Amino acid sequence: MTNYKNNLINNIPILAAILRKQSRKRTSLAFFFILFSFLSGYTNTSYPDTTENVLIINSDISIKNYSLAHTGFKTVIPNPKGEINLGNKWKEKSETEKIIRESGPAIIYCIGIKAYLFAQEVTNDATVIFSSIINWRRLTIKENTYGISSELLPSMQLTMYRYLFPKTNKIGVLYSKEYNEEWMQQAREDAKDIGISLVGIPINKKTNITSALKKLLKNVDAIWLTSDPVVLSKTDAVSNIFQQCNAANIPVFTYSEAFIDAGATLVISADIPTTGKQAARLTLDLLSRQEKIEKINTPAGSHISINLKKVAENKLMLNAEALDSVNQIIQ
Amino acid sequence: MGMYRKIKCILSHTRNHTIPYFYKSVFYKRCTYAILFPTFLCIFLFTNTLAPCAEYKYTIYFYNPETNINNFASLKKEFDLYLSRFGGYQFQPFSEREIFEKLISEKKDGIFIISSWHYKQLRENISIEPILVAVSKNKSTCRRIFSTSRIINDISMLSGMNVASASSEDYTKNVLIQMFGENKGAVASSIKILSVPKEIDALMSVGFGMADAAVTTDSSLAKLSAINRKLHDTLKQLLISNETLLPIVAVPKPQDENHKKLAKIIKDMEAAVEGKNKLSMLGFDGWKILNASEKEYLEKQ
Repeated sequence: MTNYKNNLINNIPILAAILRKQSRKRTSLAFFFILFSFLSGYTNTSYPDTTENVLIINSDISIKNYSLAHTGFKTVIPNPKGEINLGNKWKEKSETEKIIRESGPAIIYCIGIKAYLFAQEVTNDATVIFSSIINWRRLTIKENTYGISSELLPSMQLTMYRYLFPKTNKIGVLYSKEYNEEWMQQAREDAKDIGISLVGIPINKKTNITSALKKLLKNVDAIWLTSDPVVLSKTDAVSNIFQQCNAANIPVFTYSEAFIDAGATLVISADIPTTGKQAARLTLDLLSRQEKIEKINTPAGSHISINLKKVAENKLMLNAEALDSVNQIIQ
Repeated sequence: MGMYRKIKCILSHTRNHTIPYFYKSVFYKRCTYAILFPTFLCIFLFTNTLAPCAEYKYTIYFYNPETNINNFASLKKEFDLYLSRFGGYQFQPFSEREIFEKLISEKKDGIFIISSWHYKQLRENISIEPILVAVSKNKSTCRRIFSTSRIINDISMLSGMNVASASSEDYTKNVLIQMFGENKGAVASSIKILSVPKEIDALMSVGFGMADAAVTTDSSLAKLSAINRKLHDTLKQLLISNETLLPIVAVPKPQDENHKKLAKIIKDMEAAVEGKNKLSMLGFDGWKILNASEKEYLEKQ
């Protein structure tokens, strides 16, 4: 029998009985809740009336971007054959493998790298479509692999820069020849088309980024921080870039919201729900055996975050009309 | 003993460091009456005076299937901030049509910003009255344009195309049926709509090869022309829709004083820089009172 610390409650038998009853109820509810969470966390597989022979494998649905891609996909294909959330238990894979083999999906949609690697390991014949993977070029792309990249085209980003900041004409980029020479060449040409001059300084692993950036800052209206692996090789290098730009009062335009707190003025990234929808469209095209299907598609939607405080600090001229295109305003 | 003497007595006790137990308990008791009670009374009176200001009076309910607005958090934050200067008004955007329609039929404590197309569908069943229409570049109307980078000789060639649009799928299909003509309904229904967040995304996705065509407003095409002429020139404007009214402000019938006050706040937004910036987030420059022909358009089937 439970005795409550508050003696007064024990002195009133009816009250004590009610509380004990409630406590039992809460315990059993909590038990079922934990059991449900455990089961749904590991293999959240449902087999409703299937409309498409498609299986979704999510690396971890508790991660916001993975969840958004998942939801985006389901707005187009609401009843896939199954849905698996690997969560943090993906290494215990035998049961999940069994589920995949039994369901025999024609197409597996993989959200995130964990899901992609898992699918590649457990299945050979199913077509795999991926999204939410940074830098897909590092993957081995098989004949039956398709995907939506996470990186927007440079021309899309430059067009947005021009739209939001029409007076920002000279943009500087640090890039590594090893990874991004072609990219830089293309971006320069795209920039020219919209009246932006892209000033690039090539760097390598031995280059002193601080002095390269110092040189660049003297000559540009903004810095475009791209996902170049050499430029972003160390955390210190990133904070140093922001510190230098801040000291020179030059805005940083970049590709990931992770840089907002570091002091980025503008972030343009792929809109995640749209990549999920694109993956679903690609799935339907593959299922209907359409010809001329691009293996890797570029994101069609953008997500824009702007820090208005930094805009004011950097004395940038913002096109107020373009505010209807901004998803997140930071004041 | 008067209040002044009581406090003096308490303080004199506190100055004396050797307070016997009896006096201590008296001290705490007196503190409760002389200091804490008036403090609580003040807090109570203060919060009650402020309560009417903190309470939300009326709400602006917003739903627009013509735009795929997904910056709800920013919209709500910015509009609430702007509206707070006029009292306890708030802004509530919606992404789900069904939820919004249920609400609009029940709620009388606010006014509605809705698309003119949506109003036409609702007006039979819901008692609301349109009063203002949005204005962009001095125009209260727009046209939708079907742009593609492909060479199309016949509408049937559009069958099965991937079309990017920043409007809802329902709305885009409706525009396509109207553009293609009633007898080409099969072509319109075979079109696959890719919903993107912004009209500029829809146009860029055609220009850069992620979609076969886009349905956007004429003003978005004009914007693209100003930003990226080369990209704009790769797009062929294949079909143009009829002119439609921009979104409207509607109030529940009968109107009360709060509806009128809130409508005036919305109407006056363009006069203040901050208000104008908030309107830009919705894609408008301002509002104007509906004229007779615009009212007639809204009442037409």
